[in-house]
Parts: sequence; C-alpha cells; structure tokens
Amino acid sequence: MNLSDVALLAKEELSLAEKGIASAKVVLTGFVVVFAMLILLIFIIKIYGAIVQKAQNAGKKSKEKKAEAVAETPAPVVAAPVAPAQTDGVSDEVVAVISAAVATMYGSSEKARIKSIKKSSDGGRSAWAKAGVLDNTRPF
Amino acid sequence: MEILQGFVDAVKGIFEGSGLSTLNWQNYVMIGVSIVLLYLAIKKQYEPLLLLPIAFGMLLVNLYPSIMAPPTTQLLTEAQCAAQNVAVSGHAKTVIDGVTYIENPTYGGLLYYLYQGVKLGIYPPLIFLGIGCMTDFGPLISNPKSLILGAAAQIGIFVTFTGAIFLGFTEAEAGAIGIIGGADGPTAIYVTTKLAPHLLGSIAIAAYSYMALVPIIQPPIMKALTTKKERAVVMEQLRPVSKLEKIMFPVIVVIIIAIFLPDAAPLVGMLMLGNLFKESGVVERLGKTAQNELMNIITIFLGTTVGATASGQNFLTLDTIKIIILGLIAFCMGTAFGVLFGKIMYKATGGKVNPLIGSAGVSAVPMAARVSQKVGQAENPGNFLLMHAMGPNVAGVIGSAVAAGVLLNVVG
Repeated sequence: MNLSDVALLAKEELSLAEKGIASAKVVLTGFVVVFAMLILLIFIIKIYGAIVQKAQNAGKKSKEKKAEAVAETPAPVVAAPVAPAQTDGVSDEVVAVISAAVATMYGSSEKARIKSIKKSSDGGRSAWAKAGVLDNTRPF
Repeated sequence: MEILQGFVDAVKGIFEGSGLSTLNWQNYVMIGVSIVLLYLAIKKQYEPLLLLPIAFGMLLVNLYPSIMAPPTTQLLTEAQCAAQNVAVSGHAKTVIDGVTYIENPTYGGLLYYLYQGVKLGIYPPLIFLGIGCMTDFGPLISNPKSLILGAAAQIGIFVTFTGAIFLGFTEAEAGAIGIIGGADGPTAIYVTTKLAPHLLGSIAIAAYSYMALVPIIQPPIMKALTTKKERAVVMEQLRPVSKLEKIMFPVIVVIIIAIFLPDAAPLVGMLMLGNLFKESGVVERLGKTAQNELMNIITIFLGTTVGATASGQNFLTLDTIKIIILGLIAFCMGTAFGVLFGKIMYKATGGKVNPLIGSAGVSAVPMAARVSQKVGQAENPGNFLLMHAMGPNVAGVIGSAVAAGVLLNVVG
C-alpha cells in the first residue's frame, strides 16, 4: 500500500460530523497557540527591552554627569537665540520663506496674517531626511 | 541490405526511447505550463530567483521523467549479467523458483538525489538560515505589539484548513494546503513534505505564485477594509534598538519557541541562528556565506527539484485546482485578518497605528511590507510605513513557523 492509498482510505473514513470536529479542533488549537506564543513573546521582548534600556541609560547617565562636570567651566560663546513661541522653534528665516510663499499663493492684495507655524507630526523627520527616505523607498 | 536494416533498427530504437513515444499528453501540457512560467519569470520577473528553477525543473521532469526516478534493484540471471556486462560477484543473490537472480542496483535520476534535501526537510531550514542573516528584527523589537498582527495573519491558515477538510482532503493534506496562507515558501514546503508529500508540487507552486502576486492580491483587500482616514495615519518614529537587544532577541525567541513548540524548532532555530550570525557581528564570514552562497545553492536545488515534482500525471488533477483555489483563499484571509487586527489596534491606540501594516503580517518578506508602504503612500505621499510594516512582516515569519509547528503537532 503506498501513500496515496492511505490517503484515500482516510478520505472515506471521515463523516461530515467528524470533519466539523476535526477542523474545529485545529482552528481552535491553532488560533490559541499561535496567539499565546506570540503574545508571550511580546511580553518577554517588552520586559527585556525595558531592562536593557534601563541598564544602558543608567550607564549613559553616569557618563554624562562626568562629561557635564568637565564642560561646565567654559561659558557658552554665543547665546542661543530664543525662538518666538508661536513659531514652534522654526527659525526666522524659515518664517520669512513661508510668509513669502503664502503671499505668492494668495497674492499681495489679500492681507494674510500668519498666526502660528507648527512642525507637522511626520515622525520628526527633516525635509532632507524625508527626501532621502522617499528616494530610498520609491523603487518599492 | 544488412547495413540498411541495422540503420532502420537503430533509428527505431532511438525513436522508441525518445520522448516522442514515451511521453503522454499530460507531459506535453506541463511542458507548455513550464514555458509559460519561464516567460513569467524572465519577461515579467515574477520571483525569478525561484520561478525560473521551478519552471525548468518542471520542464525537465516532463521531458525526461526518469530524472526523478528512485533507485531500484534489477533481478538478473547470470546469463543476463554476462550479456549486460554486470559483475556477478559483490551483489546479493535471490533464488526464486530454483533460479538464481543477481540483485543489480540501478541508480536513481539526478533530481531524485537532489530532491532528498526537500523530502527529508533539510533545505527549508537552511533557507531560513539565510533569511535570518538578512532579517532585521529591530522594528519588531522596538514595537513588539506588531507580533499580534503577525499572529492575526495566520488565521487564514486555519480557516482554509476547514475549507480543505470539507472539500474532501484528509486532515494532513488540509494542513499542508492551509499553510499556503502563511505566504512563506520554505515553511509551506517543510510542512507539506511532512504532512502530504504527494501534494508538494501543487502546494509549492501555489505558494510561490501567490507570493509573487502579493502586490496584485493584497491592495484591493487592504483598501476595501480600511477608510481613507485610517490609511492616512502617520505613525510615530520607532525607537532605536540597542545592539544588545538585537543580540538577545534570537536567543530568547528560540528558547521560548523550541521549549513550547518543538515542532517549530528546526525552522525557527535556523532563522534565529542566521540572525545571531548577523547581529553578533563576530562571525561575519559565516553570515555572508549563509545568506549568499549557501542560500543560492539551496535555492537552485530546492527550486529545480520542487518543480520536478510537478510531473504531468501528478500535477494535472482536480486536487491541484482545488489547492490553487484554497491557497488563494488562505492568502486573502491572511491579509484580511491582518488588516482587521490592524484596525482593532488603530481603535485601541486611539489612531496611532495605521491598519495597513496589518497586511504585512503574512510573511512574504519584504514584499508584503512594501505593499503596505505603497498603499499608505498612495494616500499620503509623506507617509513612510515601510519600517513599521517590517515589524509585522518579520513577526509573520515567526508566526507561520509557529503555525507550522501547531499543524505538525496536531495533524501530523
């Protein structure tokens, strides 16, 4: 008897109810086991990720403290310009460019007023980084 | 006259031994199919690295079936031995009805021997070794929740199992057919060789065809199940993952999966070994070999011999048509469940997760992740889902290996 004969025999033996039971058994087991395993992995990855990060942050902080102690003595040469709150840290030059762009679009006859400029929440990428990613992912 | 007769006999002998008289119509149909597949591989470039060897293996076996023939033992009398120049000494003898026969072993065909690596479940884990070397689990480690999507996309496997059972397949066959929904070639082959080796040709070809068709099959399902607003969700950038975390990941995963589900250990074990080659950074040479030379060699052997299982008589059956339909259902279900769970995560996180990354939960690395990226970008050109989709994508590889382990354990 070869393999396909065995398969044929098994085919004939299954009744409709047996088929239902067999598939329900596999579907349930499969669903529960696959999810249980992967959810278990989620917890374990989270736990060890947290532990590793904590350990590494602790290591970094002690290093940074030492570095700060050294760096504190020389006074900063140029004081950082304080950006106006409504421009969300965007430099004046960029504000000027955006205003110019808006003026071009609406025309100078319409008196537009820029109330605030906010960085869009695009994952914090700069325009150049975005262009780079776009370039790299375009073939896909 | 004698010379002419000899010539006619010789030509007759060659003709009788040639394919023209030994092949039947199924072989010719399959030769046609293999040429179409070669066209798709070369001109359309559908997964050419696999489709080309598969198609050629299919072509070879249908032109010359003996290339897959197993070794046999011929029983020859001493007189026949003398006539055929076979040494009598050194072979076992059998006496039947008082006549002594010499047991003369004949060798199997070339592809028969190469096929042993498939049959014994050796090649698929070795392919996983190479895949492990090329896989970056970083996106998964930084966003472990994507494992849920990798699990959700496996539901298709089990739903299709039910369909296959009711279409008259045995439990073992149904398990092998369902695994097509895992969208992972090596896993599908591994499970099929263990559960239903006689269906290997059809299942492998269905699995690889659907993987090649991911960019065509998935987007309509993804679009149908999501709203415009959901597709446009921009996800937060992933946190950087430290080297230590990346090194610990393969070791921890293999310990957990191999302890709880030993049947998945060969696949997951090799995947994680490959990944450790990559992340440890101390065995660069081994990693390079595993992901380049070794993987290429195995791909040639695997592709050609899997193609060679599709001889006309095996392949042109009603079962093959059922398998191809069930495989497509499995694939679509996997995609749909991935996206649906993505939607659940979208709701649960208050709109932080883009449900499109769910479809990448059907392994098919990295094609499925690229599809998520592409569909997402169609909605918002500044949206980059690729790395976010890689999380569920590699989780899908682990998920299908786990699902394979479950199937092998329950129905094997």
